[in-house]
Amino acid sequence: MWRGLWTLAAQAARGPRRLCTRRSSGAPAPGSGATIFALSSGQGRCGIAVIRTSGPASGHALRILTAPRDLPLARHASLRLLSDPRSGEPLDRALVLWFPGPQSFTGEDCVEFHVHGGPAVVSGVLQALGSVPGLRPAEAGEFTRRAFANGKLNLTEVEGLADLIHAETEAQRRQALRQLDGELGHLCRGWAETLTKALAHVEAYIDFGEDDNLEEGVLEQGRKPVSIVSPEPGTTRDVLETPVDLAGFPVLLSDTAGLREGVGPVEQEGVRRARERLEQADLILAMLDASDLASPSSCNFLATVVASVGAQSPSDSSQRLLLVLNKSDLLSPEGPGPGPDLPPHLLLSCLTGEGLDGLLEALRKELAAVCGDPSTDPPLLTRARHQHHLQGCLDALGHYKQSKDLALAAEALRVARGHLTRLTGGGGTEEILDIIFQDFCVGK
Amino acid sequence: MFYFRGCGRWVAVSFTKQQFPLARLSSDSAAPRTPHFDVIVIGGGHAGTEAATAAARCGSRTLLLTHRVDTIGQMSCNPSFGGIGKGHLMREVDALDGLCSRICDQSGVHYKVLNRRKGPAVWGLRAQIDRKLYKQNMQKEILNTPLLTVQEGAVEDLILTEPEPEHTGKCRVSGVVLVDGSTVYAESVILTTGTFLRGMIVIGLETHPAGRLGDQPSIGLAQTLEKLGFVVGRLKTGTPPRIAKESINFSILNKHIPDNPSIPFSFTNETVWIKPEDQLPCYLTHTNPRVDEIVLKNLHLNSHVKETTRGPRYCPSIESKVLRFPNRLHQVWLEPEGMDSDLIYPQGLSMTLPAELQEKMITCIRGLEKAKVIQPDGVLLLLPRMECNGAISAHHNLPLPGYGVQYDYLDPRQITPSLETHLVQRLFFAGQINGTTGYEEAAAQGVIAGINASLRVSRKPPFVVSRTEGYIGVLIDDLTTLGTSEPYRMFTSRVEFRLSLRPDNADSRLTLRGYKDAGCVSQQRYERACWMKSSLEEGISVLKSIEFLSSKWKKLIPEASISTSRSLPVRALDVLKYEEVDMDSLAKAVPEPLKKYTKCRELAERLKIEATYESVLFHQLQEIKGVQQDEALQLPKDLDYLTIRDVSLSHEVREKLHFSRPQTIGAASRIPGVTPAAIINLLRFVKTTQRRQSAMNESSKTDQYLCDADRLQEREL
Repeated sequence: MWRGLWTLAAQAARGPRRLCTRRSSGAPAPGSGATIFALSSGQGRCGIAVIRTSGPASGHALRILTAPRDLPLARHASLRLLSDPRSGEPLDRALVLWFPGPQSFTGEDCVEFHVHGGPAVVSGVLQALGSVPGLRPAEAGEFTRRAFANGKLNLTEVEGLADLIHAETEAQRRQALRQLDGELGHLCRGWAETLTKALAHVEAYIDFGEDDNLEEGVLEQGRKPVSIVSPEPGTTRDVLETPVDLAGFPVLLSDTAGLREGVGPVEQEGVRRARERLEQADLILAMLDASDLASPSSCNFLATVVASVGAQSPSDSSQRLLLVLNKSDLLSPEGPGPGPDLPPHLLLSCLTGEGLDGLLEALRKELAAVCGDPSTDPPLLTRARHQHHLQGCLDALGHYKQSKDLALAAEALRVARGHLTRLTGGGGTEEILDIIFQDFCVGK
Repeated sequence: MFYFRGCGRWVAVSFTKQQFPLARLSSDSAAPRTPHFDVIVIGGGHAGTEAATAAARCGSRTLLLTHRVDTIGQMSCNPSFGGIGKGHLMREVDALDGLCSRICDQSGVHYKVLNRRKGPAVWGLRAQIDRKLYKQNMQKEILNTPLLTVQEGAVEDLILTEPEPEHTGKCRVSGVVLVDGSTVYAESVILTTGTFLRGMIVIGLETHPAGRLGDQPSIGLAQTLEKLGFVVGRLKTGTPPRIAKESINFSILNKHIPDNPSIPFSFTNETVWIKPEDQLPCYLTHTNPRVDEIVLKNLHLNSHVKETTRGPRYCPSIESKVLRFPNRLHQVWLEPEGMDSDLIYPQGLSMTLPAELQEKMITCIRGLEKAKVIQPDGVLLLLPRMECNGAISAHHNLPLPGYGVQYDYLDPRQITPSLETHLVQRLFFAGQINGTTGYEEAAAQGVIAGINASLRVSRKPPFVVSRTEGYIGVLIDDLTTLGTSEPYRMFTSRVEFRLSLRPDNADSRLTLRGYKDAGCVSQQRYERACWMKSSLEEGISVLKSIEFLSSKWKKLIPEASISTSRSLPVRALDVLKYEEVDMDSLAKAVPEPLKKYTKCRELAERLKIEATYESVLFHQLQEIKGVQQDEALQLPKDLDYLTIRDVSLSHEVREKLHFSRPQTIGAASRIPGVTPAAIINLLRFVKTTQRRQSAMNESSKTDQYLCDADRLQEREL
C-alpha cells in the first residue's frame, strides 16, 4: 500500500529527487504517522549493532534494503544482504527481524537489523534508512513514547522512563551543542537565520501584503537569500578538534586553552571557549602541574572545575572528569605526594612516560561507561540526523522554488526551516511574528 | 410571563417554543419573581450576540443582558469584517451556524477577497459593511431567535454558590445582580464585556472613564473578578477620527472597486444582497513627511503613546508608526461607513493627538487637504460607553475624534479550551475580555462559549475545537496555553496546518461536529454540508481513477502546460493541479463522468482547491494524527501541580502547569519551558490515574446515583 501511495505522491511532486517527508513547526510533537529509526544498541566497536525502525513504512524500508527479497517470516530471524537503495552497493550481511504491529515493542510495524558493529556498516545502514521516503531519525525517547501511547509498556517499565528521556535529551543536547559549535554549526545557524527571515517575509506578504505597505519586492527579498543555501551536508568539522580512535571508541579530542584569569583579551576569548567546551564535554581531562598545586591558578581550577563536576550526583549528569597531575617526575619520590586534600587523581610524567598506561586504562574505563550507555545518542546517528535534516531542508527549498501557489511555497519554506531548526533549536511562530513586526510597518 | 421591577425593559420575549423542564417549572411557580434561565450572556457586542444565539440554538433558554438594546450589533471600530485569517474565522463561525457571516452578506457595501493571487488556502474574504444595516439586521436576527430573551440592564455583580464537587473551581456562578439590586438566576453565565472593565478613553493628555456618566457598572464586576483571584492585565487600542465625505477630494486618489462577482461569507448563501455595480468604492492615499513632523513635534501632548500599557504591534496608531518607521509613507485607506453615511473611515490613521491637532495633521494628506474632522465638543463627557472593540459606540450618532482606549483584560490562561474559567464553575469568558482584538476573534469565541455554556447545563462533554480542526482552535489554544501580552489577532502564520484549514472547507471541518456534538447547527445546513462532503469525496476518487498518458492529456487540454517527456499515466486529479486547468476544461476533455461535477459551481471550485493541495495534505495528515493523539490524552482537571508527589517535575514546570492548567498532553507540550521529560512524567501519571479510575468505576457509579438524588431534592426545595 505504501508503495502505491508513494508513487502517487511522487507523481504529484513534479519536482526534485524526493518529497520531503515531514514538516515540523518546531514543537516537539513527534508525529505518530512517520516511521522512525535509531541505533538501539550501544556504540563503539562491539560485535553486533541493533538498528530499529518503527512505523507504517517499516516493512517498506525492509523490502527496499533487502531487495529483491520479500518480507521475511514474522518474528523469525533471517539472514539477508542489505544494500544501499540508491547505489545498490552492498552494506552488510545481517540478521533481520520483522515484527508486524501490534505485536511489537512499540505496537507499530517494527524491523530490527542486527548488523556487524563496525562504524562504517552502522553508518551505512543508518544513511540508507534515512534515504527511504517516510523514514526519519527518531527524536529523544520517541520509541518509548510510541510504545507507551500504544499501551505496550507496563507501569514498572515506565518508572525509569522519564529519567532515561532526561538523560537522553541531556546527552543529545550536549552533543548537539558540541557539534554545532564548529563550522558546521555556524553554517547551520546562519542558514536557519536566513530561512527564518525569508519565511517571515513570505508570511508577512501573505498576512499583510494586500492591506498594507508590502510591495511585491518583499517576496523577491524573501526569495533571494534562500538561493544562498546550498549545503553539502555533514562534511564540515571543527578544525580545533581531532577525532581519534581511543581503545576502540571514536573520540573527539578537543585541546583547550588553559583556564587562566586576568590575561589579555585574545586569551580571554580562548578561555571563554574552553569553558564552553567544558560544558559540552562528556569526559574532562583536567591537567595540572603536580609541582605547582599551591599556585593561585591551580587552586582556583580545583575549586571551580574539579569540584563542580565532582559535586554533581552521578544520575544528574553523565559528565565525567579525570584529574591528571603531570610532571610527577618533579615530585620527590619519598615525599608526601602532591597534597592530602586532593580528589582522586592520576599521576603522569609526560617526560618519562610513567603513568601513561594507567591513564589510558582509566580513559578506556571512562569511555566504556560513557559510550556503553545505550541511551546516549552515538555520533554516527547524529551525523545521520544532520544529513537527514539538511537533505530535507534542501528538498523543501526545491519545492519552494517551484510552487506557484504562494501558500504552498510558504509551506515548503516552513518545512525547510523546520528541518534546520531541528538541528539548531528554536523555530517557533513568535520568532516569525517578531521579525514581521520589526521589519514591516503593518496594521491599519 | 415575567416582569422586572424598575430595571430596564423587556424587549423580546419569545417563550412560545420553549419547553420547561418540570422541576424548574415548579420552582418558578413557587417564586414567580425570580427569573431563572439556562444561560445568561452579559454584553451585546460581537462575542455576546454569537454566544447568546449559539446557546439558544443548542436549546438553552438564554438571556442576553445589555446596556442598550439599540446598540446590539454595533460595529464600534472599523466598518469592515473579514480579511486574511479573520475571513477564515468567519467561515468557521458560519460553519457552526453563527450569525456574523450571514449578517455581513446582507449588509456589505464593498465585497472583496484579499490574497486572490496567493493560493486559496490564504484567501481572505473581506467586506466593507454598512454600520446601520449591520446593526439593523443583527437586531432583527437577535430579537427573532427562539428561546432568546433580551433585556436592558447593567450587571453589578455575580451570584456565587458552593462548587459542584465533581468539578474543579472554588465556587460556582448561579446568576447575576443588576445595578438596581434585582437578581437573575442561571445555570451558566457568559461574560463578554469587551473593553468595559475599567475602560479609560485617552485623547491627548485627557483621560475619561469609559462608563456612562453617573454610573460605573463595570467597576463592581471588575472588583468581584479581582477578589475571586483572577489575574488582570491591561491593554490599549485606538481608533481614528471620522472625516466628512463631502470634504474629501476623491478625484485625485487611487480608486479601488469591489470584486465582480461578490463572494458571500456564508456557506448558505449563493450570492450577497447587493450587485457589484451598486457597491461603493474605497480610496487609497498616503501619509507624508509633514505628518511625521506633526507627530514628532507633539509627542509631549500625547500620553497614550508614551505609556507602558501594551498595544498591538500590528495595528499601531499613526504615532507609533511614525516613531518606529520614520521617513516612510504609510497607507491610508478611505473606507465608506455605509450606503447613505456622510462619513469616511480613514483606516491607518488611528491616533490620540489632541483633537485640534488631528485635523491639522489630516489636512496635510493628499486628497484630504480640505477634510473636515468632526469635532467632539464635549461629547465625551456625555456619552462614552464602550463596546467590544475598544471603541465608543456613537449612540447619538455624533462623530468623534480619534482616541485611544485602555482597558482591563483577564489573563486567558485562566480559562479552559471550552472558555469556562478555572476558578468559577459555569462562568465563561469570550471576546476582548480574553485579550483579543477584532470582531471576528470575538465572534469566534462567542460561538464556542455559547455552545459550551449550553452543553454544561445539559451535562454534556465540552465542545472543543482542536488546532488541527480550525483557526478557532488555534486562537483558543494559543490564548489558553500561552496567554497574550498584546491584543491577540488572528494571522494565518499562527496556523501550523494552514493548507488543511482553509476558508473553502470550514463546513467539512466543523458543521458535522457542530451538529452532532454541539447541536448548534440547523438540519438544513447539516444536510448541505453532508452532501458537499460526500460529493467532494466521490469527485476526488473519480478524478483519481481517470488515468491517461500525458501525451493524451496534452491533446485533450492543449492549453495546459503538461510535460510529455515521460510516458507515465497521469491521473485527472494531477492534471487539475495545473494553474490553467479547472473542472470545466477537464469536463470538456472527459465529459463522462466529470460533467456532473461542474453543475454546482462551489463543488467544481472546491475540487480544484483539493487537487491543488492534495500531495502536501497527504503528508500533513500524518502530523495532524500525531497532534491529535496527544490531544486525546487528557490531564485530570483537578490535578494540583504544585503539590502532587507521584510526578517528578521541576518547580518551574509545576508553576507553569499550575497557571495554564493544560487539559491535554498536547497542550502541555506547547507551553514554553515544559520539557520532554516532564511530558513523559505526566503521561505516566495519566495512565496510572486512568487505571485507578477504571478500577473504582463500579463504586463511583453508586455514588453518582446518590448525588443525583440529592440534587433532585435540592431543586424541589
